[in-house]
Order: sequence, then C-alpha cells, then structure tokens
Amino acid sequence: MTPHFGLPEFGFLLRGLQWTVLLTLVAFAGGCTAGLAVALMRTCGHKGVEWITSVYIGIFQGTPLLLQLFVVYYGLALTGLKLDAFVAVAIGFTVNASAFLGEIWRGAIQAVPRGQSEAAMALGLHYSSRMRDIVLPQAIRISLPATIGYLVQLIKGTSLAAIVGFIELARAGQIVSNQTYQPLLVFGVVGAMYFILCWPLSWWGSRMEARLALANQR
Amino acid sequence: MQDQILIEMKRVQKWYGGYQALRDVDLTVRKGEKIVLCGPSGSGKSTLIRCINRLEAIQQGSIVVNGHRLDDSIKAIDVVRQDVGMVFQSFNLFPHMTVLQNCMLAPIRARRIGKAEAEATARKYLERVRIGDQADKYPAQLSGGQQQRVAIARALCMQPKVMLFDEPTSALDPEMVKEVLDTMIGLANDGMTMICVTHEMGFARQVADRVIFMAEGHIIEEGAPDVFFRNPQHARTRQFLGEILAHH
Repeated sequence: MTPHFGLPEFGFLLRGLQWTVLLTLVAFAGGCTAGLAVALMRTCGHKGVEWITSVYIGIFQGTPLLLQLFVVYYGLALTGLKLDAFVAVAIGFTVNASAFLGEIWRGAIQAVPRGQSEAAMALGLHYSSRMRDIVLPQAIRISLPATIGYLVQLIKGTSLAAIVGFIELARAGQIVSNQTYQPLLVFGVVGAMYFILCWPLSWWGSRMEARLALANQR
Repeated sequence: MQDQILIEMKRVQKWYGGYQALRDVDLTVRKGEKIVLCGPSGSGKSTLIRCINRLEAIQQGSIVVNGHRLDDSIKAIDVVRQDVGMVFQSFNLFPHMTVLQNCMLAPIRARRIGKAEAEATARKYLERVRIGDQADKYPAQLSGGQQQRVAIARALCMQPKVMLFDEPTSALDPEMVKEVLDTMIGLANDGMTMICVTHEMGFARQVADRVIFMAEGHIIEEGAPDVFFRNPQHARTRQFLGEILAHH
C-alpha cells in the first residue's frame, strides 16, 4: 500500500524547505562577508593582490559548482576532516558565493565615479573612511539588483546540495515522489515553494533596477 | 607675514606613460596670493594643481607645501591634504549624504573633531556661501551653482591654508557662473590663498595677483593681470588670449 500525498508528506517537504532557506541564509551571509573582502582586494590597487584575487574568482566561476561541492565534501574527507553534510555544502556554497558576489561588487565599486574618491582624498579621508563612508554605500546601491538576482540563483542552486546526501527541498520532493508515485503533485508543490521564495525577490530586484535607472536619468 | 611661502614647486616633471604632462615647472606661492592658471586644454594646468595635493604623483622635482615636503609617504600626503582644499569642475559632492553631512564628514573623520563642533563649523561655512537654508537637502535637489558653493563650503570646513580650484565654473549653466565667482571673490577678499584654473578672465582681472599661462606642460609666461592682459610677451599667449577673449 503506497502512501498518498498527505499532511505528513507535506510536513516533510516543509522541513526540506527549512533546510533550503537555512542553507541559503548561511551561504549568503558567509558569501557577503567573504565577497566584500574579495571585492576590496580586487580593487585595492596592489597588482599582486589584484592578480591573486582574479585567479580566485576565475577558479570558482570557471568550474562547476557541483565539482566544488564534491571537492569540499569528499576531498576534505580524504584529508581526514570528516564534515557533516550541511557544514560541507555550507562551506562550498559560501566560497562559491564569495567569488560571484566579489565580482559583482568589484564592478559596482568601479562604477562609482572616480571623482568621488578624489574628492574624499582631497578632503584628507583615509582608505577605510573612503570605502566605508563614500564608495561602498554608493556601490551597494548600484549592485543591489545584481546582488538580489544572485540570491535568487543561490536559492535554486542549493538543490545541488542533494548530491552529497543533504536533504533540502528538491531532495525531499524526490523522496516523497518516490514514496507516493505522485510526481506531478509533489513536484508541483515543491515548485510552488521555490516560486514563493524567489518571485518576491525577483520582483523587488527588478523594481530596484527600474528605480536606479530612473535615478540615473536625473 | 605676506612673505611666508606656502607652496614651492621646483623643476617638477610629470609623465603619463610616455606623455610628459608637466615640464620643468617652477612655482612659488606666498600666503594670501591669488593665482589664476590658464592655457589651452591639455596644457597641464589641471595636472599642476592636482600634483599639489598629490592626486597625481610626480616623477621628478620637489613640492613643498606649508613647510612639508611632499613625498610618497602616507604621512606626508596626509599632512599636505589637511592644508590644501580643492574644488572640482564636477563638484563631486557625495550624493548619498545631505549638504550638512557632506560638510561634516571630513572634519569628523580626518580631523577627529566632535560632532557638535563639526556641525557648527559646517553651518558657519554654509552660511558664508549663502546656502545655510539648504543644509538638510541632498545634492541632487540643488542647482549646479548651489552644489558648487556647497563644495566650496565643504573644503573650507577643513580650514585649509590654500584652496585649489579646478575649472570651478566650467560645468555650470551661464546664469550660475556669477554666484560661484562671487563666492570665490568673497573668499579672496578674506585673504585666502588661492590657485584657480579658470577661463574666467574677468575674475582673473579682478582678483588675481598673478596670472600664469601654460602650454604643453610648460609655464610660458606669468605676470600681474594688467600687464599680462595688456602686454603679453609670447606669441603663444597672445594667440590664446585672442581666442579666449573673442568669446567674451
């Protein structure tokens, strides 16, 4: 007797959703922190540091995320470091996000007009104040649509975590579908959950973009 | 007191890659002097003043500002920038801060002045450029002329010994040029030491102690405005003045 899709199954999907959200939050928070460091290093003016950072970005943008997750989960296990599946994918996604967000913010930092830094320098402001008070507040505004766009990609991308055995929303859907033989219904619900997460963000992102375009016209 | 030397540039050479922007520039500016720099575009006049506060590095020669020799050390650059204010052609106000915040930031961060004192200073200078009632607006809400006056007030809040002006009226609509020039004339009358890159020859006549003409990175000629305009020595200067005065 195969179970039908009912409340317990729905609850299982909700728990998967919880893990998806948690993984996204951890990876995004970690990715933002490390990504800021990457962006600052990428624009610091020191040729060597900029080169190393561009190699870092190139590696993580140029190889499949799947491969990076394998390396963190199985590769670190080979060195004797046995990580919990969640910790492993959180690290993998964080490092990957730091490269992508770092590159997005590098572009945004460089999009702030040079005159802003020059005015700050002429006023005697040091690098830290120049960045914190002048450049970054403007760069963050510029980068907001792209950053939100990346967050949406990240939410959907967390489904890759299933391959190391981590049960997030997509994997939970697969399990329930196998149990109930109701793939259309189950994946319909799973899809709706992703949509509810992502669509408001996408909408917010495009609204920010429209606003920014309007502000630039003025 | 009038003889105190504030800026001394000696045999300054500056290259951008293979292109030489400044050639053998010697310039001495005394306290209280007002100097107008003019010349065709690409003559090096903006580059010259940008070297004084080290927005551009020089390759040879020396620059001494208020007794401090400018070299590559952060400390020397710091000390000099505290003494030198600058106003840009494109204003470069910080768009995400109010007018008041624009004026308070540097004194708080670079001079480590308390917030209340910084605000009092900011309001004083905003009043002085006659824009005190706009203190809580954002730069984008002001006209070009008002923005440039805020930029002047912002620089003054650091209580500089010298003010550099890099074509301060070139980006302005014609009807706003006067309000900015009037502010600069007021500043000159108060005894501020000023170096202005400008094509406003009326301003030069009225305010300048010396007018300096540059071409191809050289200082070609300099003199008191009445002599400079009435009797320029070099053909290159005469040609330039002929071109520029034809429009006025």
